[in-house]
Amino acid sequence: MFRHRNLSCLFFCYCFFCFGIWLQAQSLELPYGTMQTKVTTACTECHSSRIIVQQRLSKGAWTKEVDKMIKWGAVVEAADRDSFIEYLSTNFPPDKAPDPMPRTSKKP
Amino acid sequence: MISRRHFLKYVSAAAVGSGLVQPLLTWAVSQEGLYIPGEDGMIVRSDRFIDLETPAEFLNSWITPVPHFFVRNHMHEPSTLDADTWQLSVRGEVGRPLTLSLAELHNFESHSVTNTLECAGNGRAFQQPHVPGIQWQKGAVGTAKFSGPRLRDVLQSAGVKPTGRHVIFRGLDEVPGRVPPFIRSVPVEKAMEEDTLIATQMNGLPLTRHHGFPARALVPGWIGAASCKWLTEISVAEKEFDGNFMRPGYRYPNHPLKPGDPLNVDDSHVLDSLNVKSIITSPGDESNVQSRLIHIRGAAWAGEAEVVKVEVSTDCGATWQPAQLGRERARYAWRLWRYSWKVPKSGAYSVWSRATDSKGRTQPETPEWNPSGYLYNAIDQVKVNVQAS
Repeated sequence: MFRHRNLSCLFFCYCFFCFGIWLQAQSLELPYGTMQTKVTTACTECHSSRIIVQQRLSKGAWTKEVDKMIKWGAVVEAADRDSFIEYLSTNFPPDKAPDPMPRTSKKP
Repeated sequence: MISRRHFLKYVSAAAVGSGLVQPLLTWAVSQEGLYIPGEDGMIVRSDRFIDLETPAEFLNSWITPVPHFFVRNHMHEPSTLDADTWQLSVRGEVGRPLTLSLAELHNFESHSVTNTLECAGNGRAFQQPHVPGIQWQKGAVGTAKFSGPRLRDVLQSAGVKPTGRHVIFRGLDEVPGRVPPFIRSVPVEKAMEEDTLIATQMNGLPLTRHHGFPARALVPGWIGAASCKWLTEISVAEKEFDGNFMRPGYRYPNHPLKPGDPLNVDDSHVLDSLNVKSIITSPGDESNVQSRLIHIRGAAWAGEAEVVKVEVSTDCGATWQPAQLGRERARYAWRLWRYSWKVPKSGAYSVWSRATDSKGRTQPETPEWNPSGYLYNAIDQVKVNVQAS
């Protein structure tokens, strides 16, 4: 009985982690964080978040990208600029493994 | 009740165990389809705007089928494209400005060019340190037969003045936000070459929407960005266009940079012809092979130059063997190649390929780094695990 409960707990935890990995790999949503909504709103006004999640950049490179996008019309309040850079460089740093990309299908 | 200690132990074990499923999930996500009309099995680098990469294993044919041809968009595709109302204007430094309908464009003699088109950023994902942009690996490249009037016939019809030194292309791309419009130019000498086209067909059929319907520029041997899609205006000018996609975009440093250094725009030039490059299309990277005889296949191209040889190494570059070049060839098209390798014994191997062109250029082991990851052309490598008795 005790052993079954232990196995159930292990299985539950395993599924939980797998589900998390699946969501991360599959989802178009940007990672959770205090800036998630603001970054999503500002960036996906013009392009898919897939363009963001495939980048692996240093903080310096993210700073250039954020400033370029602001110049090109991304709506980012001045007070949020540094938090945008922090959020993007924390979630998409150079040493993170690449995310898988889906393929197109012939039929809807 | 499970103790806290046991719970933490199980959480840790599950976390470690779930790490094993990452490769499986990677495969599963890559198998899951995202429907984009006209595109089949392509890697979705972006779905808005659309950027699709061809998986390397699809690049085993001399002509790349349109549903397998990479798609590179800098911004949104035109929301309305009507062949009946579409017009192409020719203006600027010309004696007789023109406005052509599609039917009038078709009155010019049609010419066909088989051309290898490659995005300047192909291979960007392999640059170290990483650089921003679409993270293309091997497949932002393909070869197709493009057909349509010669650009020079249309320009001569408009009468280019001696002051006209550059030809500017403008497409109907829809610009988001304050992004600069996608406008680029080529020198008049390239525009007047016999193989530079206003292409209306690709592999014998009208261009599809993703590839620039109803007409695109085709600047053979040059980076893909030179061949503007959804062409609507050709303007002849005295000077090279200097908008964003000519400066600072699509420029290459005049002198090698240290990885991480910024581009000095004043010490750089606009990209034109493609580099010498080969890729291995089969076997795939990290593949398991159950035979002692492996047919290694690939493609090699060199922009405006000619591929003169492709070599293969199975001992990490210590020795190189010549590959056999395919018979199909055209001035601006890639050469397919193959090499049959008798594997001495089972084990893990790294297979390398490198091409050399008629200008004497050979693919380097370490590519020149640049801040936009352009013209990546390092020796290609795949890892193969041979298990044969």
